[in-house]
Formats: sequence, C-alpha cells, structure tokens
Amino acid sequence: MEAQGILERIKSIIGEADLAWVDDQAGDPYLVIPKEKLRRLAINMKGDPHLAFDTLMCLSGVHNMGEQDEMEVVYHLYSLRHRHQFILKVKLDRPAFFPHFYLRVDSVSGIWPAAAWMEREAYDMFGIHFVGHGDFRRLLLPTDWEGHPLQKDYQEPDAYRGIDTTREEIEGILAEESG
Amino acid sequence: MPLTTETMVLNMGPHHPSTHGVLRFILRTDGEVIHLCRPDIGYLHRGLEKIAEQLPYAHFMPYTDRLDYLAAMNCNLGYAITVEQAADIEVPPRAEYIRVLVAELNRIISHLISVGTFAMDIGAVTPFTHTIREREWVNDLFEELCGARLTYNYIRFGGVVFDLPEGFLDRLSQFLDYFEPRLEQYNRFISKNKIFKERLVGVAVISTQQALDYALVGPNLRASGIDWDLRRDEPYSVYGDLEFDVPVGAAESGVLGDCYSRYWIRIWEMEQSVLILRQCIAKMPEGPYLNKSKRKLKVEAGEIYVRTEAPRGELGFYLISQGGPKPHRLRIRTGSFSAMSIVEEVSSGLMMADLVALIASLDVVAPEVDR
Repeated sequence: MEAQGILERIKSIIGEADLAWVDDQAGDPYLVIPKEKLRRLAINMKGDPHLAFDTLMCLSGVHNMGEQDEMEVVYHLYSLRHRHQFILKVKLDRPAFFPHFYLRVDSVSGIWPAAAWMEREAYDMFGIHFVGHGDFRRLLLPTDWEGHPLQKDYQEPDAYRGIDTTREEIEGILAEESG
Repeated sequence: MPLTTETMVLNMGPHHPSTHGVLRFILRTDGEVIHLCRPDIGYLHRGLEKIAEQLPYAHFMPYTDRLDYLAAMNCNLGYAITVEQAADIEVPPRAEYIRVLVAELNRIISHLISVGTFAMDIGAVTPFTHTIREREWVNDLFEELCGARLTYNYIRFGGVVFDLPEGFLDRLSQFLDYFEPRLEQYNRFISKNKIFKERLVGVAVISTQQALDYALVGPNLRASGIDWDLRRDEPYSVYGDLEFDVPVGAAESGVLGDCYSRYWIRIWEMEQSVLILRQCIAKMPEGPYLNKSKRKLKVEAGEIYVRTEAPRGELGFYLISQGGPKPHRLRIRTGSFSAMSIVEEVSSGLMMADLVALIASLDVVAPEVDR
C-alpha cells in the first residue's frame, strides 16, 4: 500500500482527530500521533491484515530544543508481507520542572519484541520512560551514570569514578606545539 | 530422597575468547544447562551518535569505519548513500561499480572471519588460519587501493577517494580464481565435517516468527527462511544491474533456523559475492570516479532513513537535518544489535557450550552492538 492508503486506513482505526501528517519537507513523510493513541494504533498496525507491519526497523529518540523543548519517539515500521513502510512519531513536552513526569510513553515491546532493547537505549540516551516495559533499565551506559547524553543540553561530566574526562592535558600539549 | 539441585550465577566475559569483542553474559545455570542468559553490553560504547551531532557531515566518515571494523567499506557506503540522498549528490557510474566491488570484497572477508571464528569457537582452530590467509590477500588489495588494511575511509560523498590502481582488476581476478576453489575446500574441511555438524544441527533454533519479532536482519533472517535481501528487493547503487541469487535457509540439515543454517548462508553468500565481483570486473565503466561538482555540501531540512545490506544485515542510518553544516540527529541501527537482543529469548535451556555456538552463529561484532 502507498503511504496515503495507509494513512486513510489509520484514520479509520483511531479517528482523524489530533493526527498531523507531515510531508512538506525533504525526505520521508511521517505521521505525528498523540501519545494516548500509540498503543491502540500499534496493536492494529501489526494485527490489521491490510497493514500487517510485522517488523519494527528502528525506534529512535530525538530531542529538539528550538522554539519548544520537546522529545520525539520515532517508529520506522516495515511490513515484509506487503513490502510497505510507514513512519510514526510521538511528541513529548519536556517542561523545566519534573520532566520525567512528562517524558512517558507506552511501551510497544509487547507488540514488537525488538522494541525492548531499542526502548532501553532511548531511555539511556534521552531519559524517555516507556510504561509497561518488562525489563526497564539502562542498556549501554553504566547503571550509576548521571544524565542522558543525547539530550541537547547535556553537560559532559569532568570525571567518572575518579577518571578524568577532560582534554586539558592534550590541549596543553597542543598549545606548546603551536608555540 | 529427592535429588536437589542449585542454580548458580556465572559471568561469561567481558573478556572471553568466544565473545567476539568485549561482551558480557550473566548466566544462571543449573549444572551445564542455562536457565537464563542476560547479555550485558556497552563495553565498547563510544557515543558515535553524539559524535555525529558535533561534526560536519564529511568528518564523520572515518568514524563509520569503526562502527563495524570488519566491514568498514559497507559502513562507509551506507553513510555515504544516506548523505547523498539527503544532499542530492549524483554518483558517476564508475564510482558506483567501484563501490559495489569493494563492498562485496569486504563482505567476503567479513564472512571469512565469521566462518573461521565460528569453527574456532567450537574447538576447531585450524580453519581460522586458513580463512585468515585468504583475508590477508584481500587486505593487500585494499591496502593497494586506499593505503589502509582495516579502517579504509575510502568512500566519499559523490564517489570514492582514489581511482583503481593500474592492474588492480587483474589482481582481483587472480584472487577470485584462487578463492573460488577454496570454498569447496572449506566445505570438505569443516562444513561437512561430522563433528562440526553434530555441534550445530538443531542447536539454538530461531523460528521464522521469532526472527521477525526481534527484527533480525541479513544472513540471520534468511537462515530462518525469510527471503529478503535489500540488494535485490530495494536495490541501491548498481545492484539492480547485477545478477545474483539470494541464499535462503531451506532446512538443509533438517531444521530451519538452527546454527548450521546460519553457517551455511554465509558460505553461500561468499559464492554469490564472487559472482557479483566477476560481473563488476567485466562491466567496470570508464570515466570519473568522484563527482567533484558539489564542493559545498548543502543538506536541506528534513529527515531520511536509508538502509543498506551490510554483511551483518541491514545497516540503517536515520538522518535528521535542520539545514546546518552538522546533522541534528544521526541514529544508527545495526544488525548485531538486534542479533544480540534475541540471545536472551533463544538461549534458555541450552547447554553452556551451545551458547558459544549461538553467539558465533549470529556473527555478533561488539562495536556494532554498542556503537
């Protein structure tokens, strides 16, 4: 099915309200849905015989700090049965106070098990919480790491467990060389 | 009196000869039988996605070499295609053929390592020395081409950085003539070896449904019986003009999706890569090897997800641009990552020695898991 056909089908499942179809920029078009509808839509996208999105190719976190401080979770879906793809996005506000109350979205790991690790990585890197995930903890970074490095306002720590992470020494040598 | 047994928690790795880089598995075992196996990854995490956001597009190319250092050309190619599509850069035909040529050559040596270490992991050390010997020849060819033997940094936006040196194609043909009969030798030596088969047939079966659920890609997916290869089904570069078969597991040993199927797929893929290479040599066009018209890279605001078929399966780059000189976000999705995520699901009930076979058969490379 073409993207427009898939979009119509999605509208017939979860209604037209609050959906935003973005196709006016370069590259791939995508659909932004409210996070409350994610779980229901995901179940249908996998189960509906016309859609049959059987693989989750990629799940990514994105952090935008332009006019609005917001996070995105992006789902790249592919159907091996019908050979078509679709991109879903969920946007989450990130207010200055108690952001972890707002950075919450339903986990889809029960629908596509591949999401389990990708969601853990998104939490690790962005601090997005996935509700209903069976084994939710950091994936790549050590458990005692502070902060989430792919956030745009992340401050690199000076040291980790007494190991210096700054480059002063190297910069000193470079300065000496350049005289 | 009933016999009581106790489970024991055991660490395998981070430094273990069979873990293909720095990986750790936390095992709960009952004697030799694994109850639960939890992979613990991140030991080789270098923050490539963060680095990508801080560098201009072209400067990230050498980092893609380190993404999967056994298949640096394929990682170069995937990243180059992504940026070319986003920035609308054309690639001259000669460059396209050179790219496919180096990518397939890299696929062969990556699979050679995979097959060799596979045999070594389950106890046959000699085949590894044979595959390394063949790989050495290709390393020499690559060195001639770009000066590097492992991390090539050879592909550029709009082409490749150097043209083929004189007589390169002849020397490549010589290698292929030498290499093709070797595959038959491997088959006699290991593939059809009784002990080797006993260790792999029916071990750690991944069903078709499991492979789909965990988004396995590449040889691991095809070994579970799914006929899907991006080179054929969504052709990029000049793969559309080349003829080759896509090997798919068909339960040769009697079981679909076991370690032995995953092993066979790689042997067959090497055969097909040889076919592709011969076609590239025959069809190699003359002309420029680099599109030099676009000196200044301009990427429009927008986003794009591009996937290519690397030796470990689908390599996806998700690029979001806001129009600046650097990417806003570059997400890298690799084959080893999804292969690792299925280990916990498949490994319960295996013997500990079979876990080693499972990891080897998935062809996991630690830097590609951790990025």
